Amino acid sequence: MSPESQQDIAIRVRGLVTRFGRQTVHDGLDLDVRRGEILGVVGPSGCGKSVLLREIVGLDPPTEGNIGFPYHEAQGREPRMGVMFQDGALFSNLTVLENVEAPLREHTQLSPELRSEIAGLKLAMAGLGSDAHYKRPAQISGGMRKRAAVARALALDPELLFLDEPTAGLDPISAENFDRMIQDLAHSLGLTVFLVTHDLDTLHAICDRVAVLYKGKVAALGAIADIAADAEGWVKDYFSGPRGRAAGRAAGG
Amino acid sequence: MAAEAAFDLIEEERAPVLALRGDWTVDTIAGLESALREIGQKLVPGAAVDVSALGRMDVAGAYLIDRTFRESPVGDSERIAIRGQHQNAKQLLATARKALGEPAEAPERWHGLKGFLERVGRIMAAIGEEIVETIGFFGETMVVLGRVLANPRRLRWTSIVHVAESAGLNALPIVALLSFFIGLVVAYLGARILQDFGATVFVVELVTVSMLREFGVVITAVILAGRTNSAFTAEIGAMKMRQEVDAMRVIGIDPMEALVVPRMLAMLAMTPILTFAAMMAGMFGGMLVSWAALGVSPAMFIARISEVVPAQHFWVGFVKAPAFALVLATIGCKQGLSVGGDVGSLGTRVTSSVVQAIFMVILLDALFALWFLEMDW
Repeated sequence: MSPESQQDIAIRVRGLVTRFGRQTVHDGLDLDVRRGEILGVVGPSGCGKSVLLREIVGLDPPTEGNIGFPYHEAQGREPRMGVMFQDGALFSNLTVLENVEAPLREHTQLSPELRSEIAGLKLAMAGLGSDAHYKRPAQISGGMRKRAAVARALALDPELLFLDEPTAGLDPISAENFDRMIQDLAHSLGLTVFLVTHDLDTLHAICDRVAVLYKGKVAALGAIADIAADAEGWVKDYFSGPRGRAAGRAAGG
Repeated sequence: MAAEAAFDLIEEERAPVLALRGDWTVDTIAGLESALREIGQKLVPGAAVDVSALGRMDVAGAYLIDRTFRESPVGDSERIAIRGQHQNAKQLLATARKALGEPAEAPERWHGLKGFLERVGRIMAAIGEEIVETIGFFGETMVVLGRVLANPRRLRWTSIVHVAESAGLNALPIVALLSFFIGLVVAYLGARILQDFGATVFVVELVTVSMLREFGVVITAVILAGRTNSAFTAEIGAMKMRQEVDAMRVIGIDPMEALVVPRMLAMLAMTPILTFAAMMAGMFGGMLVSWAALGVSPAMFIARISEVVPAQHFWVGFVKAPAFALVLATIGCKQGLSVGGDVGSLGTRVTSSVVQAIFMVILLDALFALWFLEMDW
């Protein structure tokens, strides 16, 4: 990697070790996420994808190792982060609109009127119309909940967006729409997206690069075509299994 | 460091230009709203926005500019004219315009007298439903209990013993301690008042009769209502929320049999034991006060009990224990199974479980007291 591109690293993970009791989840993991890219993180269940996400956003402390944000630290500030959890994690006692307003209410001094207008705009950007504004999370479908969760993650205009299994549990059409929405948002807002997923279609459709976690380390990192081309072992099984091939064909054709 | 957001309105020949300076982000735009409102009317068709001196911008900043133009005489028919170069201003302004939808009507809420009446009506209807449901649930539980007892191999001994330990045995210290204190207080108060009549020796009757007939069992039931009912409702409610109850049904396990019956039986077994402990602890408290304040020795105290307090007082209190156990377990399990999909309903159900349980215990106790007094027991 050339020295000037060092500036463009949004997230840098070095020598990350995570242990739960005697179980080692990450074992000296290194990972760079470039600014403005959509990075897909894959790996077998239980390999620590979600734990890695939680550690980067600061919810869990790593056992050893460093997590830094070189681009933002060079400017002397913390990056703004937005996180969408797997089940949405919307506050169930607030309406959808209030959920998106919550971060704005907490961190800005906007007038209530402007605040709810901006929240409505974020919901619209995530593809939720105004008829959902006054419903509670329990009253809307799973796909709508995910969209509302993305809108809440975007509420403060983050630079880094973390998505944990965004398309899990969605029907294929919704999942595809969701992928496209993420891609549009990432490009129009210049977001850096860290996306944990199992969805091979998502990987093919929107990820600029893919990181494969296996046995506590990043087993492969790069554009999906390159990884699939010279993969071996588990990575090969993952991308060349029947599902992997079908997703590759769908994206290529 | 974020630069403060600011703007200048430059009057030009054809139309004014809104020149933006500093960072226009969600953190910095809060102070600009009213100033932008004021100059909004000066923007006439043909007005442009100059972004050459603009720092960072985000969707919120873009939205505020978009709103200013939309509400001005420029209107929303065409795109905002942009002057100067900026990395993403054009894109963000387009995003803000494109994503904008119709504002939603807030749902109508009744206020004042009408709203109050509506609320009262809803609550009354809910109470009525709740009573019917709870009685129905009690009947269902009895049927299942009968079926299980007729075929005892279906009893789940592990969960019965587990509940008996966590809900019963573990409550023993707190139940005994609290009745001990109540016994102390009753004896002390009684000693004070009876002293005026020179009848301090009647403290023995006062403490033992009140402890045996009322306090022992009521204190136990109230503590169990707070301690065990909340646990029952929260446990079953959390299982309901995570669809574990549905999973049981699908597998063919009857939740009534697996969740409700063991709790019912454990409570039926443990409440009388706890009640007995509460009676003894309360009388022990009374005995200590009599000894310390009145000089009635423990031996005299016990001798007087066997002389003047017939065993029927004990039975009057004791038979209430299983009745309370049934009521408590029914309410706790019923509220747990009524929990819906969201966190809020778990909170409401746990609250109503405890409130209903305490209410029913005291109501039932009053009915029992009336009946026993009329029967001269």
